[in-house]
Amino acid sequence: MEEITALKKKTIDSNLEDTIEIFKQFYSVPLNKDIIIRNFSIGGLDKKATVIYINSITDSEKIEEHIIRPLLMNSVSEKKLENISPAQLINTYEIYEDILQDINNGNTALFIDGEPKAYVFSSTKFQGRSVEKPLNEVVVKGPKEAFNENVIDNISLLRKKIRSENLIFESYTISKSSKNVLYIVYMKDLVNEELLKNVKSKITSIDVNAIQNLSLLEEYIEDKNTSIFPTILSTERPDRATSYLEDGYIALLMDNSPDALILPATFWSFFHNSEDHYLRFLFGNFIRLLRFMALMITLFISAIYISVTNYHVEMIPTDLLLAMSASREVVPFPSIIEILLMEIAFELIREGGLRVPNPIGPTIGIVGALILGQAAVEANIVSPLVVIIVALSGLCSFAIGDIKLNFSVRLARFIFIFAAAFFGFYGMTALFTIGLFYIVSLYSFGVPYLAPMTPKYISSKDTFFRKILKNEQYRPGYLKPKDIVKKKEIQ
Amino acid sequence: MNSMDSTKGKIGLKELLALILLDVGTKVADDTPHTFYEDFGNAAWIGILLIGLITLIPILLLTKLIKLYKDKNLIDIILHLFGKYIGFVLLFILWIMQVFANISNSAIYTDIIGTMYFNRTPVVVIYVVLVAVAAYGAKKGVEYIGSSAWVILFWVILSLLIILVVTFVQGEFTYIFPILGTGGWEIVKGSYNHSSLLTDFLYFGFIASNVKNSTVFNKGIWIGFSIVILSFVLALIGYVMLFDYYGVRMFDYPYHETIRYIEIGFLTNVELLFFPFWLVSSFIRFSFYLYLSALLFGALFKIKHFEYVVPALAALTMLVGLMPESAVFSMNKLKIIFLNVIAPVFLLLPILLWITAKLKGDFKK
Repeated sequence: MEEITALKKKTIDSNLEDTIEIFKQFYSVPLNKDIIIRNFSIGGLDKKATVIYINSITDSEKIEEHIIRPLLMNSVSEKKLENISPAQLINTYEIYEDILQDINNGNTALFIDGEPKAYVFSSTKFQGRSVEKPLNEVVVKGPKEAFNENVIDNISLLRKKIRSENLIFESYTISKSSKNVLYIVYMKDLVNEELLKNVKSKITSIDVNAIQNLSLLEEYIEDKNTSIFPTILSTERPDRATSYLEDGYIALLMDNSPDALILPATFWSFFHNSEDHYLRFLFGNFIRLLRFMALMITLFISAIYISVTNYHVEMIPTDLLLAMSASREVVPFPSIIEILLMEIAFELIREGGLRVPNPIGPTIGIVGALILGQAAVEANIVSPLVVIIVALSGLCSFAIGDIKLNFSVRLARFIFIFAAAFFGFYGMTALFTIGLFYIVSLYSFGVPYLAPMTPKYISSKDTFFRKILKNEQYRPGYLKPKDIVKKKEIQ
Repeated sequence: MNSMDSTKGKIGLKELLALILLDVGTKVADDTPHTFYEDFGNAAWIGILLIGLITLIPILLLTKLIKLYKDKNLIDIILHLFGKYIGFVLLFILWIMQVFANISNSAIYTDIIGTMYFNRTPVVVIYVVLVAVAAYGAKKGVEYIGSSAWVILFWVILSLLIILVVTFVQGEFTYIFPILGTGGWEIVKGSYNHSSLLTDFLYFGFIASNVKNSTVFNKGIWIGFSIVILSFVLALIGYVMLFDYYGVRMFDYPYHETIRYIEIGFLTNVELLFFPFWLVSSFIRFSFYLYLSALLFGALFKIKHFEYVVPALAALTMLVGLMPESAVFSMNKLKIIFLNVIAPVFLLLPILLWITAKLKGDFKK
C-alpha cells in the first residue's frame, strides 16, 4: 500500500510500456472493468501511443472522433500535438498523482512513447438528471428551475441570472481521499472580506477523507451542532440563491448536491419564501402573516390545550367547557397522554408517508388521516377535540416551508407540551423566555440570529413583513457588504 | 462564534428602551400601585407626576455625568470621584440595595403567581422556575436581555393597551374624584417617600458603558422616563375607575384584579390571555436585576467574569426570599420600609456625584 502511495508522487517514465504497466497496477486492470487502455500508433510520426480513460464517465465518441482518429490519420510529421487533435488539451502532467486525478475526473490521458509526460484532454461526461422543477420549495408564481446534482449545471443556472464578471466561483478540494470539490460563490464587489476569510478558513480546516455532498458538509462548518435552530440555509432554488448573492451573502455549491448552502443565515432567511417577493406587496405580506400564524399555532396549540384543560379551566366559556368535558368523559387518559398519542401518531404518519414507496402513498394517507383519527375517537382513546387540535397543529407545520425550521418547530412543540403539562401557562412562558434568551444569543458566522430586528442594522427591514420593492433600498447591514445601497430612491 | 462586529456587547436605543420599560414599567403590574393607593388614595396618579418632578433632578444630573465621562459607567464614575475606599462602601451599599430589591420583588412576584394563578402549586417550585429562568438570562449578558426585551416589547405594550382601553370603557369616570385623594400636603410628603420607585434609573447608569454611546443612553433614559410616567398615570387612573376609591385599596395586586375583572366580548375570563405577557416581562426584569447584582458584585470584588456569580446570587435570592412565611405581609412591610430608606440615597447620590465632579473641575476639561 505504502509502495503505491510513494509511487504516485513520482514522475512518469519515458518508456511507454513501463508507464502503462504502472497505470494498470493503479487501476487494477483487468479487475476493474470500465478502465480503457487503448494502444495505437500515431500516423506520420510513427510513434506508439496509449490513451487511458474511464469508460463510464467519459464521452467515448468524443475521444474516438477528436483524439484518436486525428492522431491515427495524421500524415504530417512535424506538427505539434495541439494542432493535430481538435479536443481541448487541458494540461500536460509528469507526476502520476496528477494524471490519476484527471482521469478520475473523466478526462483522457494520452501517453506517447519517448515523452516523459502525459497529455490530458477534456472528455468528461457524468451521468445525471437534467434541470427539473423544485420539489420542496414550490411556488405558484415565479421561476421553476431547481438545482440538480451536476455542479456545472448549477453554476450555469446562477451565471444565467447574474451576468457579471464580479460573480466568483472559487473551487476548493475539501476531502483527501475522494477529492470532493467545493465551490465558494460570491460577488467580489459586495462580499465582506472578513466573512469570506472566516468561511474559507473553516473550509480549509476540514480534514476528512470524503464529504459526499453539501448536506454532509453543513455539519462540519456549523457553529453549534447540537442547537435546535439551524444556522445555515439550504435552498434548491437558483433564483433564491441569486437574490442572496446579490445581497452579499456567500453560497456554497458542490457536485452531487441538488441545492446550495447560503451563509450566514438569520432566523428570517428560514422564515421567508421566495414567493413573498414574487407576489404583489399585499398578497406577499398576507402569506407572511399566515406563515407567522401557522408557526404560532404549530408551536403552541397542543401545549395551550394541555394548559387550559389541566390548569386554567376557567378560561373556557362555560358552554364549550361542558361540551368538552362531556366528550372527554369516556376517555380514560389524562390530556397529556391523549395529546402525545395523537402528536406522535401524526409524526409517524408523516415520516411513514415520506418513506413509503410511491404507489402505496395515497393508501397510507387515507388510512392515517381518516381511519386512524376516526377509529381512535370511536374507541374512546382520544376525544374529538384532540383530533382537531393535533390535525391543526400538524397542518400548520406544513406552512413552514423550510425543512430545517420545520424540524425546529416540530421538536420545540414537544418541549412546550411537556412544559405545559408540568406548569401550565407558567411553564410555557418560562420555556418561551428561555428560548428567547437562547435565540437572541445565537450567531451564524458572526451575524446575530435575529438581525436586523435586534440588534439593529441598516437594512431593508425585511423581517415579519416586507416593504414595497422600491423601498427596499439597502443590503443587510449585518453582512457589512462593500456597497450597502441596493437602489437609489425612486421619486 | 462571536459577532463580527466591534460593537459586540453594546446595546442600542431600542434595546435600552425596552429594558427600561420592562424593568420599571412592570412595577405598574405588581404591588407598587397598592402602596401608592395607601398613601395617596385617589390621587395616586398625581403622586406619580410629583415623583416624576422630584426625580427629574437626580436623573438629569445622572445623564449629565454619563455625558461627561463618555465611555464610563456609574461604577467607574463613583470610583473615580470618591476614590477607592468611599467608592467601595458606596458601591457595597448599592449592591446590598439591589440584592434586597431582588429578593423582596422575587418573593412578591412568586406570591402573585402563587395566589392569583397557581393556588395549588408549591411556592418553592414557582420560585425555583422564576429564579432559574432569570439566572439563565442574566448569565447570557445584558445585550441578550436587552434584545429579548425588545422582541417582546411590542406584544407587552399591546396587551397593556388593550387592558387600558377596556378598563377605561368599562370603568366609571366619576370614580376618580375627589381628585386630590388624601389631600395636598399628604401627596407631597408621600411623593418624597415613594420617589425610590424610579431608583432603577440610577441603576441603569451601571450599564451606561454597555450602551452604544452616551447620547443614545440619555435619549433612552428620557424617552423611557416619559413613557413610564405616562403608563403609570394611565394605569393608576384606570384601576380607580374600575374599583373606586375604597375598593382599589383592598387589593394587593390591582393589575391582576383588573384583568380578572374585565370582560372582552364573549370571553368572561381573560386574565390568562394577559398573564403570559406579564410573566415574560417579569422574567426579563429579574434577569436584569440578577445581572445588575452580579455586575456590582464583580466590580466590588474585582471579578472579571462576573456572570459566573449569577447562579450563586440566584440561589441566595431564592433562599432568603423563601424564608418569610407569608410574603404578601412581611415582604410588603419590609419593602415599604426599604423603599423609604433608599429614597434619600437615590435622590442624593447623583447630586453628590455631580458636586464632586464640579469641585474636581472635570466639567471644565
